[in-house]
Amino acid sequence: MTGFDVVVVGAGPAGACAATVLARKGRSVLLVERGPFPGSKNMYGGVVYPRMLDLLHPEWWHDVPYQRWITRRSTMLLTDTQAVTLDFRTDAWGRPPYNGMTAYRPDFDNWLARKAEADGAELVCSTTATGLLVDADRVVGVRTDRPDGDVTADVVIACDGVNSFLAKEAGLFGAVDAANYTLGVKETISLPKDVIDERFAVRGREGVDIEILGGTSGVNGGAFVYTNLDTLGVGAVLKLPALAAQSTRPEAIIAALKAHPAVAPLVEGGELVEYSAHLIPEAGLAMIPKLATNGMLVAGDAASLCLAAGIWLEGVNFAMASGMYAAEAADEALRNRDLSVSGLAGYERRLASTFVLRDHRRLRRVPALVLSDRVQHTYPQVTANVVERMFRVDNPAPKPGLRRIVKEERKRAGMRWRHLARDAWAGIRGFG
Amino acid sequence: MNVLVCWKWVAPGDDDRWAGVSAADHAALEIALTLAGDSDAFVTVATVGPPGAEAALRDAVARGARRAVRVDAPRDLLSEAVAGALAALAGSCRWVLCGDYSLDRGSGSVPALIAAHLGVAQALGLVDAGTDAEGRLHAVRRLDGGRREELSVASPAVVSVEGSVARLRRASLTAELAARAAAIEVVDGPQGPRETPIDEGPYRPRARVLPAPTGSDALTRIRSLMSSGVAVAHGETVTLDPPQAAARIVQSLRDWGYVAPLSEGAPPA
Amino acid sequence: MLAVIPVRDGELPAGALETIAECGGRVVLVGDRLDVVDVVGATDVRTVELGPFAPGSWAASLDALLADEPIVVLPASPDGRDLAPRLAHVLRRPLVAGAVSVAPERITVPRRGGLELHVLAVRPPIVATLQPGVRGVDPAPPVPDRHGTRRAVVLERRDVPDATVVAVHPPDVTTIDLTEADRIAAGGAGLDSAARFDQLSRIAAAIGGAMGATRVVTDRAWVGHERQIGTTGVVVSPELYLSFGISGAVQHTSGLGDPRHVISVNVDPHCPMMQMSDLAVVSDANSVLDELELLLGTTIR
Ligand SMILES: Cc1cc2nc3c(=O)[nH]c(=O)nc-3n(C[C@H](O)[C@H](O)[C@H](O)COP(=O)(O)OP(=O)(O)OC[C@H]3O[C@@H](n4cnc5c(N)ncnc54)[C@H](O)[C@@H]3O)c2cc1C
Ligand SMILES: Cc1cc2nc3c(=O)[nH]c(=O)nc-3n(C[C@H](O)[C@H](O)[C@H](O)COP(=O)(O)OP(=O)(O)OC[C@H]3O[C@@H](n4cnc5c(N)ncnc54)[C@H](O)[C@@H]3O)c2cc1C
Ligand SMILES: Nc1ncnc2c1ncn2[C@@H]1O[C@H](COP(=O)(O)O)[C@@H](O)[C@H]1O
Repeated sequence: MTGFDVVVVGAGPAGACAATVLARKGRSVLLVERGPFPGSKNMYGGVVYPRMLDLLHPEWWHDVPYQRWITRRSTMLLTDTQAVTLDFRTDAWGRPPYNGMTAYRPDFDNWLARKAEADGAELVCSTTATGLLVDADRVVGVRTDRPDGDVTADVVIACDGVNSFLAKEAGLFGAVDAANYTLGVKETISLPKDVIDERFAVRGREGVDIEILGGTSGVNGGAFVYTNLDTLGVGAVLKLPALAAQSTRPEAIIAALKAHPAVAPLVEGGELVEYSAHLIPEAGLAMIPKLATNGMLVAGDAASLCLAAGIWLEGVNFAMASGMYAAEAADEALRNRDLSVSGLAGYERRLASTFVLRDHRRLRRVPALVLSDRVQHTYPQVTANVVERMFRVDNPAPKPGLRRIVKEERKRAGMRWRHLARDAWAGIRGFG
Repeated sequence: MNVLVCWKWVAPGDDDRWAGVSAADHAALEIALTLAGDSDAFVTVATVGPPGAEAALRDAVARGARRAVRVDAPRDLLSEAVAGALAALAGSCRWVLCGDYSLDRGSGSVPALIAAHLGVAQALGLVDAGTDAEGRLHAVRRLDGGRREELSVASPAVVSVEGSVARLRRASLTAELAARAAAIEVVDGPQGPRETPIDEGPYRPRARVLPAPTGSDALTRIRSLMSSGVAVAHGETVTLDPPQAAARIVQSLRDWGYVAPLSEGAPPA
Repeated sequence: MLAVIPVRDGELPAGALETIAECGGRVVLVGDRLDVVDVVGATDVRTVELGPFAPGSWAASLDALLADEPIVVLPASPDGRDLAPRLAHVLRRPLVAGAVSVAPERITVPRRGGLELHVLAVRPPIVATLQPGVRGVDPAPPVPDRHGTRRAVVLERRDVPDATVVAVHPPDVTTIDLTEADRIAAGGAGLDSAARFDQLSRIAAAIGGAMGATRVVTDRAWVGHERQIGTTGVVVSPELYLSFGISGAVQHTSGLGDPRHVISVNVDPHCPMMQMSDLAVVSDANSVLDELELLLGTTIR
């Protein structure tokens, strides 16, 4: 049997950062990864928000394996036939320290984990943690599927991703509710770089991030189109119950999205290179489990620390941050020789005082709101119709006034002012 | 008893299907370790290639090889040179175990060349292998037309196995971690001759010389010509979602008469 | 160029006639019961009786006979692949294995899993092996005496260590269905699990056919090695061939015979298998299998 100060399960962004911090503090740390190499099977939409990297790997942009810098972000409202787009772009995001980048997870996660290795962490791949080693009321290590694969450790940090099997075994999760998850599906579509540059009006390493409301074939959720160097990530994030209710297949929903008049011209002629699907902890604060037990911490998606609030889809940055804070807390606990829940309390304290829990608190009402039927179906329809009629020229008929258009469209959609007022208020409180 | 296992490592390139170590080489190590299991055998794993191969050798050590040797040589070395270098290591070995193919060259010729160098027996492309009471290797090898040949081989001998004969055991966690510090012996090897193609390209079927058309009437003769030779591409390419794809396939099967036409009441394909 | 054909018990190996044709009809038959062998299209036949297959001893014995032949070609059949390197060694010349074509100055070989062709400049003397099934054979010449000259050469057998043949088994009965099948549904590395091949078997059964696989799959032990289609597996000759997630490496396709209809499902429209298909469907083979199973289950009597 092998022993370490800390064993980190899962070499995703959370695990890699946790391992890096601990190794730098001189702790012996084992980073266990299921895949043949870090990131091998990991998927996501495609944008990494890198601020946490500044803290861990200053000037990370010199060697990070990225695809494009996001210099343009569009938010699209889609109906079956129409699209209303809010488009923002700035060159500033194309310069250090950069606001966001598209990257392939097999490249990015591998890069991040190798840095942990370089700092002295032991990384073992093709190794699955199959359970916890428990002594009385304390977690004292993990079982792995290797021959004589038990590993003892003073602290176990579970970074094993959404639906964490270890967190469940440790009893940190309440009853799991499907309504708290969305299914993320994504197609990677290859197109020549110059074609992408032209279609998305970008140059060199500039890239685009399009977040879409509607366009998911009536299934509540959201969709996205991200530009890589010579591929596109086209995907949807779908509320599980809704998906189950409508017996539509995820692929069919992506197909419909790709056929939408506002999306088709962007993806046309591309060749499908990969289709992937993955769960996302969607409900935000509502579903965050207990973050610690004696001898164990949970970070990243494993702790549901993923911000999936409609037009926001951030998880890698939350994972990196929570991984780092978990590591600091573990180190602190090792120093004070108190590995109990209270000894590890530094973790939650750190999360609470940083964006990790603050953003979650601030946006706690947003997921429900954004995924509500009105926001999903009614508002996009009304908005699109209003805009269409504002800009349509009906000569010889005179232009109708905005007030009248809104009134009519609102009636047509059966939209109630008090609902709008309530949602607007929720929105202001939510995003405010 | 000493056993030499030969692993060919191919550096990662544009297509990782051809990178690393072949399934056949993995199987070869497993067979070697099993041979070792029922004796006090000492398993050495060797590769002829660049420094990049050492990670693969460590993996072999983690899985049970006791000694790892890298014969320093460039990639694309001709098989004769590779075999010569490996034969030089095989001196005291009762068994030399190889895979049936390397990932890039895949000619399956190195093992026979090693046997030739050593002037010993060979048993190649085995789909089954085990030892009998007298310590002879009992092996099954493929022949043409699905026939199989049962062999009995006395050591010393060179053996090559297909990937399917054995699943390579996993390294224990302790061994996996220990192997990272494992020493790898590096010996100087041949720097040539290397295989240098004068031209490279994607695979294109060779225009096949067609057998004389057979069949009674002209039509069947022509059809036999048309349909003969996998080289002739006369197809249509369609991109479809799975449901449509399946429907389209069944449609073609109907059109070509492989499945009965739709009978009434059946849902349309 | 001279063809050297290892013969077992009067039977020619796969690719023998192609190799002889590639060498313009000059051939040395070596092995046992050569008298019963009938080689179509050969012009100059020499026979060397050396008994049962023994690559080491055969090579040692043939040394003198072949010493002055600049280019010696064998079929890349199991026995050819065994004998060629031993010959190359005793003749002290390089070996070029698994070629798809052999010409006096250029040899073309498949590389990287048979998806690339490399052309090598030939500097005789060499020994080469020719991939069976890629060349085809010339139409039988109408002339009555089409066997050309034929004479027996007697060589004294030089014995070196060889493996002892215990027995030769006929094709595995459990796979007769495959070798005899005129409809085959085969799967490759594009399929995502061992379970897919059970599904594939059911689908094959639904269209009255058999299931086959590529070496990548048999190497994973997802399917028994006896279901591997190709030159080192079983050589089949179906009317209808359905391929799912198969790239169409030459070593696989040359084991296919001449199917009249080929349907392929692959995400890569440019791979050789799709190129040689009557219907090439670009789609995820795994989902297509699910759909096909439903469809064949419901709509086929
Ligand atoms: C469709 C989709 C789009 C998304 N888009 C974005 C985006 O654009 N930007 C963004 O920032 N985030 C995005 N996210 C969220 C983001 O992917 C996750 O929040 C993030 O990956 C969480 O990182 P993690 O390290 O916590 O978990 P993961 O990245 O899931 O890593 C978990 C690791 O643990 C390993 N593992 C699991 N179980 C075991 C075990 N038992 N033993 C050993 N190893 C194990 C896994 O192999 C994996 O490597 C998206 C997610 C999805 C599904
Ligand atoms: C001496 C020698 C002898 C050999 N003998 C044989 C033999 O007898 N038989 C044999 O089969 N091979 C043989 N091989 C191996 C051969 O060269 C190839 O490596 C092998 O045939 C490739 O098998 P594959 O097509 O399944 O795998 P790959 O070449 O990896 O092809 C997989 C295919 O699946 C496609 N794909 C991937 N994902 C999907 C998806 N989701 N949906 C649809 N398609 C997908 C890919 O585009 C690719 O085309 C031999 C090789 C050598 C060197
Ligand atoms: N460079 C090499 N180093 C070690 N073993 C090799 C090398 N090349 C080939 N082999 C062995 O010979 C087998 C057949 O290789 P090949 O003849 O290249 O198809 C491989 O499976 C290996 O076991």
